[in-house]
Amino acid sequence: MQKLIRFGATETDGGRDLLRAAEVTRDPLLRRLYLLHATDEQRHGMLFRRRAMALLARHPERSRGTRGPGWSLDFARDGHGLDDLEVEREPDDTMLAFLHVAEQSAASRFTVYRDIMQFDPDTRRVFDDILHDEMFHMNYTAVQLVRVAPQHHRSRLWRARLSRLWKAYLRLASAIAGAIGGVILTVQYFVLLPPFAWLAKRAARRDIAGWTAVPEPRHDSLRSQY
Amino acid sequence: MKILGISAHYHDSAAALVVDGVPLCAVQEERLSRRKNDAGFPLAATEWCLAQAGIEPEELDAVVFYEKPMLKFERILTCALRTFPRSWRMFPKAMKNTLGEKVWVRGLISSQLGVPARKVLFTEHHQSHAAAAFLTAPTRRAAILTSDGVGEWATLTIGRGERRDDGTTSIALDREIRFPHSLGMLYSTFTAYLGFKVNEDEYKVMGLAGYGRPSRVDDVRNVIRRTPDGAFALDLDYFEFHSTAARSYSSRFIDRFGPPRNPYEPIDLQTSEGRRFADIAASVQRVLEDTLVDIARALHAESGLSDLCLGGGVALNGVANARILAESGFERVFVPPAPGDAGCAVGAALYADRIHFRNGDRDVPDHPFWGPAVDGAELARIAREDGQHAAELGEAEILVQTADDLMSGRIVGWMDGALELGPRALGHRSILAAPHDAAMRDRLNREIKYREQFRPFAPVVPVEHAERYFELPRGGARLARFMSGVFPVRPEWRSRLAAVTHVDGTARVQTLERAMAPRLHALLEEYGRRSGIPVLLNTSLNLAGEPIVNRAVEGYSTFLRCGIDVLVAGRTRVLKRGSLLAKRKEEVA
Repeated sequence: MQKLIRFGATETDGGRDLLRAAEVTRDPLLRRLYLLHATDEQRHGMLFRRRAMALLARHPERSRGTRGPGWSLDFARDGHGLDDLEVEREPDDTMLAFLHVAEQSAASRFTVYRDIMQFDPDTRRVFDDILHDEMFHMNYTAVQLVRVAPQHHRSRLWRARLSRLWKAYLRLASAIAGAIGGVILTVQYFVLLPPFAWLAKRAARRDIAGWTAVPEPRHDSLRSQY
Repeated sequence: MKILGISAHYHDSAAALVVDGVPLCAVQEERLSRRKNDAGFPLAATEWCLAQAGIEPEELDAVVFYEKPMLKFERILTCALRTFPRSWRMFPKAMKNTLGEKVWVRGLISSQLGVPARKVLFTEHHQSHAAAAFLTAPTRRAAILTSDGVGEWATLTIGRGERRDDGTTSIALDREIRFPHSLGMLYSTFTAYLGFKVNEDEYKVMGLAGYGRPSRVDDVRNVIRRTPDGAFALDLDYFEFHSTAARSYSSRFIDRFGPPRNPYEPIDLQTSEGRRFADIAASVQRVLEDTLVDIARALHAESGLSDLCLGGGVALNGVANARILAESGFERVFVPPAPGDAGCAVGAALYADRIHFRNGDRDVPDHPFWGPAVDGAELARIAREDGQHAAELGEAEILVQTADDLMSGRIVGWMDGALELGPRALGHRSILAAPHDAAMRDRLNREIKYREQFRPFAPVVPVEHAERYFELPRGGARLARFMSGVFPVRPEWRSRLAAVTHVDGTARVQTLERAMAPRLHALLEEYGRRSGIPVLLNTSLNLAGEPIVNRAVEGYSTFLRCGIDVLVAGRTRVLKRGSLLAKRKEEVA
């Protein structure tokens, strides 16, 4: 269920980026194809969410761990969404190569999920439906890449693959660094903060609820960040 | 003087340029980046503003950030200390988040724009709100009330502003209510509890409230109590927003109000559970209104002024604004088109100009159209590349044709001139439709907005006809200028304005003055000549989860993906024929 919600958010996010790509490209054919692709991705997002909701309705006890839609951006950082690609700045060939590689990766992942969903024909149908579109996406990105970069399409694909690997490494490194930073800060929190926390709590007891007068000198101090 | 105002880092970042005391341009970052509520540093917005004015960053006299980052950091740290050890999960996240970028604003602005650090100034968050509300309003002196979730420490402030005869200006915030006691946070907590997105979907709570009875008011009053001095305080046992980033309400809150709504389950108002959520929404809405009205009434009595300027995100609550106008004693209530954080970019720049640099007062144009202009020729080019028929018509012809389209039940995407600043589409990036049948509302919800059935659509009417269809109190037309008030539809017109009349008989009407949007005004008149009612349904030109469109190409992609029948940009008209996207896919396949 969590996975479906995550897939839904990622597809929707990818759809938004494709929409942006459609709006910035100067190539009319690509604009139309990106737009088609974007609507597919948004439909996929909806299919995943609907299926997740159907499962939730059947198993309401599992909803306890389900975060609301406000968390969708966290989920969208898994790779199929294009949020680590600066859509506005990328030329068409780079964009197409990135899309092709991303679609390949998504299709192989969805195939695995479809195959293990033997026990759940409804969810399997959702994956089947989406995989049908993914084939179209892979095909058109390959054909269009050859059209816009006839001499360099292979190198663009390799560059896209390497770029994905590099970004995956950066995500991992950043997650590890974040975790280490979190541990250090948590240790500091419990080791260094208690006396200050005691003082802060004491000071808080003196706070009076209600109106507080705004001190006059505060009004004209635009150079200060305090 | 050339002053750039910037708001960023929390939600809805924006840039605004004030030249010689008058705003020249302003735009939200989300409208350019196409990421809804984009909170990132507004580099694209800043670049656009500077390009629009034709100036280089080094020519700026000042860059004003809309709040004091160190003061905000102090609040975050203090809250973590006060809620020790419950804040242990929040602390690392808050520190990484804040120390990573948000406190280094001076250096960030200096490096991004290449301006000397000494030119970077900081207003307080609520000073920015107050300036955005007062300095853009056509009033000489007014009381000021700002309210939002939280700025640095303040969550609600009251004060007064004055334009003096010698040309100087003053804005004085006298008193404030400090975090964690916050009307904005109260409302946002209920927004989260009701399964909506915080900082984005608060207006859904207001819409849902119309379907409920305020039967849980006593329960809500238990979580927010009034203080003897006329302010309020939250009972923090019911909240967790000040101690954790994971959830804004506590278990005790759930004990009182029942299980929260699962965000993935639709609200069914036919069920007891759906009605429970609607009743809770109605109750928190009522308590918010009562509290604001009381504070505004006391402010009126204390100040003796007849005008009130409202700022901050809470001022987007049109039902509360209408009650303030009706019950507080103020004769006029001014709400800017962008009372939230995006408008703070304008407010911060104006505050620096009038108060810090002591420049003379200047009238600020009374409209919301500060963004990029739409290019009809761009729409014509794109549509033709797609094999669509794009007609470039004369001025009179396009109005006649569009009125005919609306009369025949078509839904029109209407793009005209400069983009609005703020969350409302006020006639330059709108979806327009006939307002007469509820079926039109349902069609819009189903085919275009893909949103909940309980959410109402707003009408737009020429200001000179507004009283005929809507019960506007004195000052109501002014409050409705930027769609900031919710007023009753006259009972005799409700059946003929069914698509824009909410279940409680009200509408968030926009009263349109000819000078503000002359083409839309002319279209309304043209439509009125055909239908007998010069009122149109007006909703923002965007799809769910996307920002309001900016350029013609964005309007065009929106047009292709939903049930809009006709797209107009300037004098270019494109009529949709069949399902274009489905056809394309077949062709390509």
